[in-house]
Amino acid sequence: MAKMTVLEALRAAMAYEMARNERVVVLGEDVGTVGGIFRVTSGLQKQFGKDRLIDTPLDEKGIVAHAVGMAMYGMRPIAEIQFAGFIHDAHEQIMFCGTKYRWMTGGEYPVPMVVRAPAFGGIMGGFWHSQSPESYYIHGGGIKIVAPTTPQDAYAFMLAAIRDPDPVLVLEPVPLYRTLSDEVADDGAAAPIGVGEVVRAGADVTAVTYGPIRHDVVGAADDLATERGIEAEVIDLRSLIPYDIDMIVRSVEKTGRLVIIHEASETLGFGAEIAVQVQNRAFGSLEAPIERVCAPDLPYSYRVGDEFFKPNRKRIGAGLVRTAEFAF
Amino acid sequence: MTVWGRFDPEENPVVSTGQKIGQGEGDPREPVAAPLSNAQALGIRQVIDQDGKPTGNLPDPGLSKDDCLMFYRVMTLLRAIDQRGWTLQRSGRIAFWIPICGQEAVQVGATHAMDREDWIFRAHREMAPWIMRGEPLDLMFAQFFGAEAEPQRGRRLPCLIGSRKIKLVSSSTQVGAYIPHGAGAGWAAKLMGSDEVVLSFFGDGATSRGEFHSAMNFAGIHKPQVVFVCVNNGWAVTTPLDRQTAQEDFAAKGAAYGLPNLRVDGNDPLAVYAVVKEARDRAKAEGPTLIEAITYRLGFHTSSDNPDLYRKKDECDDWARWDPIVRMRRYLEHAGWWTEADEAELAERQAAEIQDAVERAEKMPVPGPTSQFDDLYEDSNWMLEEQKARLLRDLGDGA
Repeated sequence: MAKMTVLEALRAAMAYEMARNERVVVLGEDVGTVGGIFRVTSGLQKQFGKDRLIDTPLDEKGIVAHAVGMAMYGMRPIAEIQFAGFIHDAHEQIMFCGTKYRWMTGGEYPVPMVVRAPAFGGIMGGFWHSQSPESYYIHGGGIKIVAPTTPQDAYAFMLAAIRDPDPVLVLEPVPLYRTLSDEVADDGAAAPIGVGEVVRAGADVTAVTYGPIRHDVVGAADDLATERGIEAEVIDLRSLIPYDIDMIVRSVEKTGRLVIIHEASETLGFGAEIAVQVQNRAFGSLEAPIERVCAPDLPYSYRVGDEFFKPNRKRIGAGLVRTAEFAF
Repeated sequence: MTVWGRFDPEENPVVSTGQKIGQGEGDPREPVAAPLSNAQALGIRQVIDQDGKPTGNLPDPGLSKDDCLMFYRVMTLLRAIDQRGWTLQRSGRIAFWIPICGQEAVQVGATHAMDREDWIFRAHREMAPWIMRGEPLDLMFAQFFGAEAEPQRGRRLPCLIGSRKIKLVSSSTQVGAYIPHGAGAGWAAKLMGSDEVVLSFFGDGATSRGEFHSAMNFAGIHKPQVVFVCVNNGWAVTTPLDRQTAQEDFAAKGAAYGLPNLRVDGNDPLAVYAVVKEARDRAKAEGPTLIEAITYRLGFHTSSDNPDLYRKKDECDDWARWDPIVRMRRYLEHAGWWTEADEAELAERQAAEIQDAVERAEKMPVPGPTSQFDDLYEDSNWMLEEQKARLLRDLGDGA
């Protein structure tokens, strides 16, 4: 056990796996000399050398495309995208090359790469530095996506991503990098991709979320319990592809009510998919319409994005109350 | 006069015939002369001339008689495969075809220059590695028919062949997207201390894509073990070279990234072999080379094309005088290694081999829906499994 920030936990996981497996390399902009603009890989170049912590040209498409080739050859590359907002230059490489080669080649050329992307809002970063790009990367298959938001999850899901035989996109919680620290069991154990976590128990309404606002959702649920005696059950999905549908359904069968909270824009956001899956499986249990609390279909505003567009405790609470108190 | 070896242009359906077919308004450009007749002045490496005689431009690499005969057999087989594939498409037995005709030399020469353990990332027309590395002909045709038994299990369009057994990687269909994949593999080979080198094929059109520039830029800095071969066949669908780039020397683009670069007569298999071999042998110590192989797509872009709308028959006839098969045959004849009788025997044998391969491939089972759910991941997930179950349930007996 060691006390770590989210950022340190991510670094510890990479260091652990790099020491264990010499085929693991990190490549990206500024990742070597200074450890990336967030310093997530700080010190790793000194430890593992310039051939394993590779500073690349400013070219997201090129970084991912080369990682695809490295992975096909047999390495375990970790491609760092400086900010999730810049990942779209590599969209074709991720979604139509890296995540499809195994299938296209009849299973002959797997692509075990990791793409790391610092994501989500909360740092007054404006449009390009506050993105929640998951929906663009969920569609079409071949990828796994994880979004760890505690030091322990950051450590264990990063290990899982590196060891996974298929491409994994890791959405890292920028606003929590240095603000959240906790004890981490840094014993080299990986988390199971696809398994969520009930982070707050409750019987009145189910709140499904992921990413750093998980902590806001728990806060809103606590407020609700104090102010209105409504107990919300909060599920942090942690993995988006695949995601823990059974955990959601078990909870909804108990509460009869579901609110999905995410930072990404509403239309075709991940909440839409969850809502359909839940109504298919738990139609008879539902006592209220499924609610979504998410961002409007707008670019993220520099000045007021964090304040109004990203679901805050007030908006999350409003959604939970509306759903918990709904009556036919 | 047009020279086609044993493939008479009037009987070769793959090449432009000057006939107006299909629909669409064309505005064929005036013919542009093949630069190969001016190779020395243009800095294009060349071993043999139209007549298969040494030009003195680049020394003969001195391949053995067996190797030279193999070059000829593979090139002629490729052309015969091309004709057969075309007719299979035109008669509706396969959905699509990507002609090879005219581009046989570059793929044969480059493949032979690599070690057997080297990787090859192909573009769309490179069939030679399949044959030269010993994959069977019936499995190649099985790929065209989309059979379950071919390595990619019927998932890719005809001609996009690949096989791990021979380290041949089929391209992602997006032109040029695969250039950095080959470079990444060659980079990994270097980082892992392997002696393997990657051969990366791509076309002239691909040089306009961002991935070309990504690959060249990274390669200049990080020196992956790769040989880049730009197969310049003159046309990207209907777009000629001067509409693709204002820089007529494609190899020179490598200079912008600090890469050694050169031009070679892509219709001269001996010259291609010589320059790729040299690049291959110094890739480990010195890094990558960009080679522009100048050739010509005598045929259609694909079975969904009509070249008569954008180019004139005279241009194809000019290039046909540089037919790599004819040049190689003349070379063999000058060496006393080839006779009319050999030619007749070879043609007959290849026709029989292809016929046999087609018959066997066409009988192979095509995949049902179930197997297409395999291989997206190493281990499937609940979403895919449920989708599969619903699909099979609703298809019922149709599955």
